[in-house]
Amino acid sequence: MKQIIKLKINGAEEDKAVHTHHTLLDVLRAEYKLFGAREGCGIGMCGACTVLIDGKPTSSCILLAALAEGREIVTIEGLSEPGKLHPIQQAFIDHNAFQCSYCTPGFILSTKTLLAENPSPTVEQIRHYLAGNLCRCGSYYKIQDAVLDAAARLRGEMAGTASETS
Amino acid sequence: MIGQTLPMLDAEERVTGRISYALNVELPGMLVGKILRSPVPHARVVHVDGTQAERLPGVGAVLTRGDFGSQTGYRGKYGRIFRDQSVVAFDKVRFVGDPVAAVAAVNEDVAEEALSLIDVDYEELPAVFDEAAALKPGAPLVHDPRPEQQPIFSKLIQDLPSGSNMCSHFKLRRGDVEDGFRQADFVFEDVFHSPPAQHVPLEPHVTVAQFFHSKLTLWTSTQMPHAVRAQMAELFNLPLARVRVIVETLGGGFGSKGSLRLEPITAFLALKANRPVKIVLSREEEFVTVCKHPATIRIKTGVMKDGTLMAREVAANFNTGAYSDIGPVVARNGGSAMSGPYKIPHVHIDSCAVWTNVVPAGALRGFGVPQAAWAYETQMDRIAEDLRLDPVEFRRKNLLRDDDLFATGEKVADMHYDELLERATAAVNWSRNDARWLNQNGAPARQSKSRRGKGLALVIKATITPSTSVAALKLNEDGSLNVLTSSVELGQGAKTVLAQIAAQAMQSPLAHVSVSNPDTDLTPYDQQTSSSRTTYSMGGAIGKAAADLKRQLSEYAAELLEVSVADLLLEEGRVTVRGSPSRSLTYGEIALRSNQGNLIGRGAFSTHGGLDLETGQGIGSVHWHQGAIGCEVEVDVETGKIKVLQLAPVVFAGRVVNPRLCELQLEGCAVFGFGQALFEEMTYGDHGQLVNPNLGDYNIPSFEDIPWKLNPIALEHDGTEDLHGVGETLLPPVMAAIGNAVYNAVGVRIHDLPLTAEKVLRELPRVSA
Repeated sequence: MKQIIKLKINGAEEDKAVHTHHTLLDVLRAEYKLFGAREGCGIGMCGACTVLIDGKPTSSCILLAALAEGREIVTIEGLSEPGKLHPIQQAFIDHNAFQCSYCTPGFILSTKTLLAENPSPTVEQIRHYLAGNLCRCGSYYKIQDAVLDAAARLRGEMAGTASETS
Repeated sequence: MIGQTLPMLDAEERVTGRISYALNVELPGMLVGKILRSPVPHARVVHVDGTQAERLPGVGAVLTRGDFGSQTGYRGKYGRIFRDQSVVAFDKVRFVGDPVAAVAAVNEDVAEEALSLIDVDYEELPAVFDEAAALKPGAPLVHDPRPEQQPIFSKLIQDLPSGSNMCSHFKLRRGDVEDGFRQADFVFEDVFHSPPAQHVPLEPHVTVAQFFHSKLTLWTSTQMPHAVRAQMAELFNLPLARVRVIVETLGGGFGSKGSLRLEPITAFLALKANRPVKIVLSREEEFVTVCKHPATIRIKTGVMKDGTLMAREVAANFNTGAYSDIGPVVARNGGSAMSGPYKIPHVHIDSCAVWTNVVPAGALRGFGVPQAAWAYETQMDRIAEDLRLDPVEFRRKNLLRDDDLFATGEKVADMHYDELLERATAAVNWSRNDARWLNQNGAPARQSKSRRGKGLALVIKATITPSTSVAALKLNEDGSLNVLTSSVELGQGAKTVLAQIAAQAMQSPLAHVSVSNPDTDLTPYDQQTSSSRTTYSMGGAIGKAAADLKRQLSEYAAELLEVSVADLLLEEGRVTVRGSPSRSLTYGEIALRSNQGNLIGRGAFSTHGGLDLETGQGIGSVHWHQGAIGCEVEVDVETGKIKVLQLAPVVFAGRVVNPRLCELQLEGCAVFGFGQALFEEMTYGDHGQLVNPNLGDYNIPSFEDIPWKLNPIALEHDGTEDLHGVGETLLPPVMAAIGNAVYNAVGVRIHDLPLTAEKVLRELPRVSA
């Protein structure tokens, strides 16, 4: 059975007919061809399918698409504009904070919320916050470096913006 | 460029989620494939009927055993070493999860429904799950008669008579082990066990198959495009040129994406449906597709009072599950490594692969050596303790050094164990007083309920020998370079490292170099992306291809500039006449003006060796991979919980091409081994069914689990340009290093992985009593 719902993905809202039993991940991949979110475990344990819903990291593999109606959905594809990476993405590149990178979009989106909630996280706080994103290649130490670096860059950027406006 | 830390060349695609995996491949008219699996561990398949499923609207094909056999012309039997696997079950099913039939349909829902309409009757047979039980006389036979061996492996694996579950038997005989034990002052005997563990690459296995105009094309998540091509050509009775295997970047492999997996089922569905078909495994299916070999290893070591090793006897059984896959070679590789990086004059090793009714085991990062190192390095620690020796000194006394003979009889060179041991022990501040027998209470920790301990372990590991890699360098008319290679990018950074090697060899800017994905129609032969061999072997092939290309460039430039080749200098993308810098041509100009369209350099890199089937003597590895790990743990004596404070992995790396990517390999090995050390274990119920095939019940290391500190060290030596692979070396010693540190902390010696809190707690009262 299909249901027409309003989905707002990366800032663009449209009516979409979705199967009521299909997950948000199914719809992102099959209907929108957004391949940055990926299934890793199918039960919300690994974080490879993470998207932001109203700013919160959410496992799209266990959320029915219909339940995301009207909410603000951001995928990795919505994080940056062509030619201008988000500072977190740049920090991940600078530290090569990935190997196979299947988990990377999930880590970056979770980091975005972490740093919005806590601009100066400690290593313990980073490890705790990102414990729901698994990296089987074991790039954790480089991810930790990238998150610390991204935090510093974002604080710098915010300070810069503040001084410009004042 | 070699020696320079650069982010992966495709880093931007990776952080924006745009990088393409096989998972993203979609073709017009593509159907979804699903597999029906056996619910029982061992049974005769009495009846399979797919006609109901075929009638369901939206079903493109149903694949059963009826599609194979003499009437169809497709034998449907395959296997790397023994043809013991069939595309779908023929006469029997052999483990819970064994594919019985498959369907291709317009979507997942229809495919699922079609599976439920396939009618199968089983007549259950007695099953055997454990490697020891499987070898007992009268045990149910998993394969009877014995499957046919692939002729190509007859020099590597000895065939055995029918009537047993023993799949292979590797023998190593050096000196006279009985005499060695007689001479020894002490003889120690222990049994160690490693459980099945899963690779859990976050990207599952994926295959897309298309069969048009008598040509099979596969997009598949494999580490071995050419081996897949060869086996699929055999299954489809096609020449190699009519099978095309294309490999996108992989979302991790760790050995799981080696042998044929989904390719046969997907391809036969595509043939039958006459439409492209895609199969993506669920996580649960991943767990019943391949795993690390469970292994039981009995190890007996004779030693003199002063700690000199005299003799070692090993009986190892690797449980290869229902199908042998590459198991016999795993058992051989683990077996030939059982003497460790030590001089032992008398060695006698039997290492067998055994068929049972559990999930087939295959290659997993370390290839048999994790099981071996868990056994020999734990026993080394026990011997040191019992003889009241410093475990570091005890190891140092017996280390393999240049010109010593390894257990295979080959003379070793370029050994760096003294330095590796030094660096690993220094990282954890090991001192002579740290031995448990000198320090019975363990080091006090911050909290009095906890005890701290230190441990270490060493490893020696072969890289597959003999082996062959071929590379082609295509020089375009603007001077840019396509590196054509079948090395698979699985997250290790192969494409970046190979680009660095090619750029350096050709003296070309990195921006002018592009490394291909594997495509067997276009890229030359490579044996496999495994065994830590890509940087060394494919790097070597690129070096030779560059030499060939430079020779061609010089010859054409000599003609164009009217000088002799000897008068030319190649540097920075130009060929210049010595002493007259104005007389020079860029690579691009040479390609254009020589009227050759483009120039192609070709290089093949092969290594040679092999071990005698009866004695295990010969050349086991073109060079040996060497590593050491220091470890520091804290053990809670009230709960048994082990906290790993620090791992200090040290590897001999030769010349490092890209330091950060090298570090990532070392860290990856350490974290992967950490999971196997502390919690990873596939658990079976009484009826051979896996009870934890998901990431809720089977845990892999998360950010909150990993050691607080991990400082990898890659030893490089000035002047050496030799490349050593580092993809696996440091995984095998992690388990023993942690186990030895746990013993050092609380005096509990565990022989069966993983090192769970329950096991520690169970043993603690015995120790303190």
